[in-house]
Amino acid sequence: MTSGAPRTRRGFDLRFPKTVLVAVVVILCIPAAIAVNVLAFDGRAYYVTALAIITLSMLPFAVAFEGRKPQARELVVIAVLVAITVAGRAAFFMVPQFKPVVALVIISGAALGPMSGFVVGSLSGFVSNFIFGQGPWTPWQMFAFGMIGFIAGLVFSRMAAAIGSGDAPVHARGGNASEKADTDSVFAQPDGTAVWGWDVKGRLRTERIRIALLCVFGFVITFVLYGILLDTAAATIFSSSISFDTLLLMYISGAPFNLVHAISTVVFLLLLARTMIEKLERVKKKYGFMQGVS
Amino acid sequence: MTASAADRSIFAGYHPIINYVFFGYAVLVPILFMHPVLLAISFASAFSWFVYLNRGRGLKFGLGLVVPLMVIAALFNPAFNHEGATILFYMNDNPITLESVIYGICAAVMIGGVILWFACYNAVMTSDKFIYLFGRMVPAMSLVISMALRFIPRYRAQAGRIASARRGIGFDVSSGKFLRRVRSGGEILSVMVTWALENAIETSDSMRSRGYGLSGRTAYSVYRFDSRDRAMLVAMLALMAAVATALAAEVVSVMFFPLFTVSGTSPFGMAAFACHAAVCVIPLALDVREDVVWRMSLK
Repeated sequence: MTSGAPRTRRGFDLRFPKTVLVAVVVILCIPAAIAVNVLAFDGRAYYVTALAIITLSMLPFAVAFEGRKPQARELVVIAVLVAITVAGRAAFFMVPQFKPVVALVIISGAALGPMSGFVVGSLSGFVSNFIFGQGPWTPWQMFAFGMIGFIAGLVFSRMAAAIGSGDAPVHARGGNASEKADTDSVFAQPDGTAVWGWDVKGRLRTERIRIALLCVFGFVITFVLYGILLDTAAATIFSSSISFDTLLLMYISGAPFNLVHAISTVVFLLLLARTMIEKLERVKKKYGFMQGVS
Repeated sequence: MTASAADRSIFAGYHPIINYVFFGYAVLVPILFMHPVLLAISFASAFSWFVYLNRGRGLKFGLGLVVPLMVIAALFNPAFNHEGATILFYMNDNPITLESVIYGICAAVMIGGVILWFACYNAVMTSDKFIYLFGRMVPAMSLVISMALRFIPRYRAQAGRIASARRGIGFDVSSGKFLRRVRSGGEILSVMVTWALENAIETSDSMRSRGYGLSGRTAYSVYRFDSRDRAMLVAMLALMAAVATALAAEVVSVMFFPLFTVSGTSPFGMAAFACHAAVCVIPLALDVREDVVWRMSLK
């Protein structure tokens, strides 16, 4: 939003030398992990190799985040989002797969940028497992949620700023029922278009399109990234040899669960996205922090 | 979750480094080296410690959740992996091999053991140990973790406060039509989030005014690495090194495909199994010994 904000706050800052170093080390370590697997374990230590790669891939994010020396305000807001996400997962504990976690992570990424999106996602996965139980699945969840937050940040930062900046007037966006009735009678023209020079309908439509885009993104990324990644993890631990058939079987048997998960993400995005993004943008604007990221 | 188990376990009273070295070994060795004897030792010690920690509830979890999962794992492999030289029979024109069946059973014991070790971890380890150990490596992330863990109960209390305030003005979440209740619940969430974010700013301002992020600040810690921890760490590392040597020298080794071959019957192999068993029973032995000493002191 504000072009004068320091660029170092933006997402993944490759100018930070430590990050580059770590990224290079990681890129070298991944083939090394595969080589160790092939040479020392006859290529059968699928789970541990995959785990090593996943863990290594998260390192540059951690180093970039720590290296940026985040300000107290940024940290506390991230902690708030992690806590809300974890509480959301806990609130729906009795409904399997129907969870608001991915939706909240996407919202966080969109509102706070890719780097914070990654941190909210991966730490939500980690912290919620203090309640639900840590296990061999923890690193995979951390990676999947983290990547979703990161990608959401890359794709939607700009859009979130537009939603939050309120370029459609508040009363045209629903509000609560009585407020809407009020504004309808006072401002609305018979044809419902120009109200005091604002193209209310047009802006409302743009905003609906934005939310719809967010929902499509949420559905696809939950089903594809989270679903496929965790099903692959299950395959690596269950099977002695990973073949196309075993993977396909895992994906097919996981599909109904992933579908429910993806639908729940859409539902929660529809319910929460606009309100949450507005609240986050408001706080950012009011207290003037993290302005560089959107 | 089970604070009582964390308080009761003597092993949990050791320094976090000891805890993490132990759990790292206990989880990684079975995953990496699926030797039947190592797996059996791991599984048996994980199961008995878990049941010891959680009594009847532990047995229910073990039998009700872990065993079915193990059955699935045992069946999964022979059904979809047809490697191996010894064909037992054909199912839908697919060969079911002895090697694949053995691998399936070993994988099942491995998965069951790892899940039980994690269940023990969840029972005795608290998040502050993790934060203590990794706080210096990733200070910002650890701070986020500990703040988030603190916020969750705080938000629950605040949500209760908001709900009762709204009940006072006639918006009760627990009565009325379904849609009205859902909307009321949504309002509570909305108020909650706004409050949480405003509160976050206040918290961070308070942190800043107390010097967060300045250099030369120390971290509070309740953990002390004393002589008891040192002795335990040395003993544990020595035993682990012995097992690692045996594995590296292939005194203890296993191969599933094409033919199931297993080694470890030599005296060195037996010694390695003994060392592995010694590591695996450390927490259970410590807890049992403590209970026995306590009961004796009561008499």
